[in-house]
Formats: sequence, structure tokens, C-alpha cells
Amino acid sequence: MSRVLAVVRMQLLNWPINIAWPWGILFSSFLINYAIQSALVRQTVGESTTGGLLSIYTVVFVAYLISVSQDLPFALGLGVSRRTFHLASGLMLTTEALLYGTLLYLFALIERATDGFGVELAFFGLPFMSTSNPLLQILVYTVPFLLFGVLGFAVGLVFKRWGANGVLTLSVAAILAIGAAVYLITRAERWRAVGGWFVDQSTVGLFIGWPLLLVVPLAALSHLLIRRVTV
Amino acid sequence: MENDRPIFLQIAELLENAILDGSLPEETQVPSTNELAAFHRINPATAAKGVNQLVDDGTLYKRRGIGMFVSPGAREKLRTRRREEFADQYVNPLVTEARKLGISATDLKKMIDAAKERS
Amino acid sequence: MIPAIAVDNLTKRYGKFTALENVNLTLNEHRIYGLLGRNGAGKTTLMRILTAQEFATSGSVAVFGKAPYENEAVLSRVCFIKESQVYPQHLRVRHALGAAALVYPNWDERFARSLLEDFQLPADRLVKKLSRGMLSALGIIIGLASRAPLTFFDEPYLGLDAVARQLFYDRLLTDFSEHPRTVVLSTHLIDEVSALIEHVLLIDRGRIVLDDEVEAVRGQLLTVSGASRAVDEFAAAGTELHRTTLNGTARVTLRGAFVPADHDRARSLGLRVEAESLQELVVRLTASPRRPADAETAGDSPEKEILR
Repeated sequence: MSRVLAVVRMQLLNWPINIAWPWGILFSSFLINYAIQSALVRQTVGESTTGGLLSIYTVVFVAYLISVSQDLPFALGLGVSRRTFHLASGLMLTTEALLYGTLLYLFALIERATDGFGVELAFFGLPFMSTSNPLLQILVYTVPFLLFGVLGFAVGLVFKRWGANGVLTLSVAAILAIGAAVYLITRAERWRAVGGWFVDQSTVGLFIGWPLLLVVPLAALSHLLIRRVTV
Repeated sequence: MENDRPIFLQIAELLENAILDGSLPEETQVPSTNELAAFHRINPATAAKGVNQLVDDGTLYKRRGIGMFVSPGAREKLRTRRREEFADQYVNPLVTEARKLGISATDLKKMIDAAKERS
Repeated sequence: MIPAIAVDNLTKRYGKFTALENVNLTLNEHRIYGLLGRNGAGKTTLMRILTAQEFATSGSVAVFGKAPYENEAVLSRVCFIKESQVYPQHLRVRHALGAAALVYPNWDERFARSLLEDFQLPADRLVKKLSRGMLSALGIIIGLASRAPLTFFDEPYLGLDAVARQLFYDRLLTDFSEHPRTVVLSTHLIDEVSALIEHVLLIDRGRIVLDDEVEAVRGQLLTVSGASRAVDEFAAAGTELHRTTLNGTARVTLRGAFVPADHDRARSLGLRVEAESLQELVVRLTASPRRPADAETAGDSPEKEILR
């Protein structure tokens, strides 16, 4: 365990960079949305929701992808085992997710208290993401971080082992799978049912339950992939 | 350090030379293995081998906890041995070269005397 | 006593290309080994497999008695300074040293700092902005300060000038004397390190062609020149590797278990004697287009150059 902590500390050696990227980008996205909203607020009625929050989740995805490409070879070069690196990454991701999730929740509270920062902006508190229980609300923000991080890590491993071709193949396969699903649903004229299903899912189900269900197999896949990585 | 023979032998030779020319008197301490290694920029194990060679043939002896010292009588013993080797190392090649150049034994002796005068 | 490294019938193939073939080695503790060979001979592949960064196709390796794969008890005692080490994008020199300090139990911070000064490496510089020489210096500092019981240096001198290289050798020797460890130094600059290393391992095209004490090998290669008849008389004492003739004189390179007395004998035959360096021996053993194994059985027909 101490070795895992040592690797976490190793990852944190350059912590300003680790923090700067996700929050820097989120802050930029926020500023842009705020500026736009403050121009629009007199023209529209009611709250304006934006998808700017997605930016920080995307950055976490990219960060863990890059981590496999740069931090893993560095760590292996220093005699760290693959398993330890994986565990350390998982520990870091979980901690980050909880920390960031809580921060987002706090920002959402501030947003609500200030009527959308005075311009009726709904950047942090999105209606389809809200739930009544504060603890669950924090988890609603937190769990997607886990999903994006684990996904980035897994894709990073695919890239490490099979290069650009591997990732392209994976993307093509994903696109084909989605395309096939769309085709089948259209054929069966079941879009109503699909849409209905999504609406029926509770916020908790959509942002906590299903993501967690996906995190588990992805983490297991990463475990299998990392065992044969060479640097 | 030269290519033609093991370094440990060269180390042993250097120490022997120092003993012969008096810069390392009998009963004085010889530099440690690490000192020799650092000075000559060689592996400590090689330096140790050279020193041990001299311990084995009695030129040096070990004082526990202190180091290696030059044995009494080492200088004389070395001198005798080197004199025996002198013929093979220097005299024979000298004679062969002299013969090649057509230098007679008399001329050779004259040359040796002249050299001795000068030194 | 457990050897530091035990390699048993190791083979590594990349598709059709065989990088290592039936390599058998035993390396003992507390010695400096020279791992020599041409580019692409297999030196780095061997070291990568020994540090579990690459996997064997067949055969096994043991480091301090255990397989290194995913074994941190072993890996924390091994430091591999690669020629092509990847450093994360925004890492600075002091971060790199900090990282090494976290994973190497024997890390000596004071030693690292004094080495930083010795090599004049700026601690705050971004690693990606370092020149090739400074990057090598960083690797050397990590390797030395790690005090890892088994330390590999893979061509650590790239980009370093002669002064810096000598600094490295001096620091390595001094530290090795005071804190013995097992060092494997892979290099092309054989003559520079031939006094440092105790044992030479020569790899050629994936096979071990020399595995011997340097002191035993030193002096094995001799070039004698002079009257052809005298040369022939002396040449019987060894294996002829190369012969050049000009009128009635010949110049022959021989390999054999020569001692100083043989030199005296050659000189008394009127021959000129040159002892060839370890580097020369290595070149001779790896230059042949035929595989070393074939050369042994083909009767050693030496290259003959007749100059007229």
C-alpha cells in the first residue's frame, strides 16, 4: 500500500498542472457562458441551461488517456509495477472525483443562491441533474468523473498496446455498433420507447447507477490490458 | 595503463617499482585499494587483485584493521628477481637488434660504457 | 549465494526477427559488468526483459533469485537508466529526482544534489527542454543516487562531452568503492571503460560471443610485424585473425593466451609487438558478416591482403 501511495505522491509532484487543466478549462467555459448569458438575459425568459459542465469531464477523460501514454512509461522506467500504477491511478481518480464533485455541488449551491450569478445562468445546476438529497447530489456530480476517467485510461491502454490503429479500430467498431443500434431501433419504430426509457430513468439512475455499472467492466478491462503493456 | 597485460599486474609492477626506487620504504603503509582505484581510475577489485598478488608472494603483508605494509627484505628480493628478468626483457632484444644492425660485441660494450658514463 | 542476475535460455523474437537467442548468463553481485555489442545487437532488449519492461518469448530470467515481472520487492532494488526514457510533459528536473526519491529505498538526496552541481544541471528546467547531454546527466544522477543494488546504465553518455563522461566514471568508481552494488554498463566507448569494468559480456546479433573477466581477455589480441619468417614462427602461438604482407614483411593479428614473456620472445625474434585494446578485440569478434558460431567451425580462414 505504501508503494501505491508513493506512486500517488509521484503523480502529485506536479500538482499545479493536474489542477490547472480541468479547472482552467471549466473556468474558461464558465466565463464564456456567463458573458453570453449576461447579454441574453434581458431577451429570454427564465433560466438558460448550458452544456459547459461537460468540459471538465472531457478534460478528465483526456488527462487519464495522456497519463497512460506518459506517466505509465515513466513509472515503469522507475521500477513501479503495472498493478501499483493502476491502483494508484484508481485511487487518484476516486479522490479527484469526490473532490471535484463536491466542489461542483458547492458552486451549484452558490449559483442557486445568487439566481444564476445574477444573470439566471444555469451552468452548474442543471435541471435534469438535480436530486433532492445533498449526498446523492454530490454523487451525481462525482460518479461521471469516474466513468470518464476510467474510459480515458482504458482508451489510453488501447493506444499504448495497439497504437493509433488500435484506437481507430475501436472508434470504427463503436460507430458501427451505434449505427447498428440506431438502424434497429428505427426499423422497429421504437424511438418513442427509447426516449421514454431515458425520461423514466431517475437522475440517480442515470448519473450514478448506470455509470457505476459501466465503470466496473472498464476497470476490469484496463486490468487485463495493462498486464501486457511494454515500454 | 597499457593494453598488453592485465591491469592488476601493472598495479603490482607500479608498487614494486616504488619499492625498488625507495619511494615506498620497507614497513611503510601502501595506499588502500580504494585509493589506488580512484587514483588510477580502475575498478577496485582489480586494484585489490594487484595488491593481493604482492601479498601472496610476500612483498607485502597485512596488518589487521590497518592496511597493507611493505615487508622487510622486500627490496632485495625484488631486485634479485628483476635482475633475472632483465636478461629476457632487455638484453636479448638488445642483442637481436644489435645483430640486425651489424653492431659488434665490442661496439656494443663501448656503447654501454658510454651510456653508464653519462647517467 | 544468489546471483544478481540469472538468465536461462532466453529467446526474444519480434515476428520473424530474433533479437535474442538462447542467451545464458550469470551475473554476480557487487561487480561492474560491461555489456558490449553493436547497435541492434540485443543489449537494450536484454535489459528491458530483465527489468520486466518487455517480455521473453521463451526461457527465463531471475533477478536476485526471483522473476522480476510485477515483483516490486525485486524491482525496487533495480534501477534502469534507459537511453530513451520517457518523461511526462510538464516535469521539471527536480520533479524527476523527487519521483526517483519516492520509489528507491536507498535514495541519497545529498549525493543527488552534489551530482546536480557537478553536472551543472538546473533543477528547475523542464525536462523536455534539456539538451541531449543534460538529459543523459539527469539519467546518470538518478542512476547513481538511487544506490539501487542492481543498476543498469544503457549508453548513459550520449551527448556528454569527454569531461562529463570522465566525471561520470569517477563518481561511479568512488561510489562503487564505498557502496558496492552490481552495475551493468552498456556502452560503445569500450576503451574508456575497459579499466572500470571487471567482466565483459559481448552480444552480437542476439547471441553471447564473449563472457569473460576483462583481465583474462586483456592482452589476448596481439599484432606482430617484421620479417615474414619470424612472424610465421611466432604466429604459430596463436590463432591468426588478420594478415597483411608487403614484400618480405608481414603484419599479423593474433588471438591467444599471451603473457608478457611472449612479448619478450617476439621482440627477441626481431618483431615489433603491439598489444591491441579490448575495443579492437570486440571489433574483431563482431565485424565478421558470418555468424560467430559459424566462424569457429569454418577453420578461421583469415582475410589476406597482399599489397604490392
